[in-house]
Amino acid sequence: MKESIINKDKLDVLKELANIGVGNALTSLSQMLNEEKVEMDVPVATLAPLQDVPDLLGGEELPVAGIYIESHGDINLTILFVLSLESAANLVSVLVPGSQGEFNEMGLSALVEVGNILTASYLNALSFMTDLKLLPSPPVIAVDMSAAIISTVMAEAHIVDDEVVLLKTFLKSKQSHISGHILILPDVGALDSIFTLLGAR
Amino acid sequence: MHTIKVKIADLAVLRSEGLLITIGLGSCVGIALYDAESKVGGLAHILLHRSSQFGNRTNTFNPAKFADTAIPVLIKKMEKIGGRRKRFMAKIAGGSQLFNFRKSTGISIGEKNIEVVRQTLHELKIPLRGEDVGGNFGRTMRFFVDSGKVLITTMGRGDREL
Repeated sequence: MKESIINKDKLDVLKELANIGVGNALTSLSQMLNEEKVEMDVPVATLAPLQDVPDLLGGEELPVAGIYIESHGDINLTILFVLSLESAANLVSVLVPGSQGEFNEMGLSALVEVGNILTASYLNALSFMTDLKLLPSPPVIAVDMSAAIISTVMAEAHIVDDEVVLLKTFLKSKQSHISGHILILPDVGALDSIFTLLGAR
Repeated sequence: MHTIKVKIADLAVLRSEGLLITIGLGSCVGIALYDAESKVGGLAHILLHRSSQFGNRTNTFNPAKFADTAIPVLIKKMEKIGGRRKRFMAKIAGGSQLFNFRKSTGISIGEKNIEVVRQTLHELKIPLRGEDVGGNFGRTMRFFVDSGKVLITTMGRGDREL
């Protein structure tokens, strides 16, 4: 039996960090949606086999828009905001007045901007709590099959251990029919830093 | 039809009939090897190019994760169920660049994967008989072991047979 890279107490700590950070991000999203209420599920922190990660968002061939941000600085985090195509179109039509929610240059850059704002507010909260310096890279977007997007992000971020620690939050706005997942993948070094900082064993 | 789903960093083999499928190849590469005479087929879904360039925290090692280690393992498994290495040929798909990085310097992970897959096949003297690689979109690969046919499907970019 191989040793797991993380235990339950540590997962709970991560979950709490996701909770606070994503809560902050949600407020930003709500502001972008003209103060519409955005709900979220309690974030889930899990240790998943690498092979199962591409299927964790409900369907490997599901067409989605994925907005991908890497954060460097004191620790490395990979953040992926995943929306079903329908949700992404709805979001575009709220953000770009007069549009039909199409994924042209304007629509895509509106989505990228949402990724930017969500990530910035998430990282601000995390940085405030931990005193870690977090420097997000500019977001990039792809519209494709869910599994292709997730596996590409893992390869890009070098998240290739047999087990992957991930924080997953589902969020939803009822009125404008937008729902999506925020996935946060800390790298192994990031976990060590966070736990040392917070004194978790 | 007997179907085996090959996940990321995984590989599988079949003989005579059945379907090997791998879903959502982005920068990853799917490698289908086939012996037409014995109808032995194998499919691998690799995530990265070379095992030596990536550490692993856990003490197990999964050779199916990397191009340079997955292909030899796939060959061995196919030989075990009656494939003859001399007759093997390959068809590959994937290795795309989904995200358009502005910082993008040099060669993408997808391109690097393709390069090492081709190189490894060449070193092992397995001819490459078909490929659908590169671009900026994901692919699903279906490998029909009775005929050796490989079907590539995409999201909105049409289908292709190899």
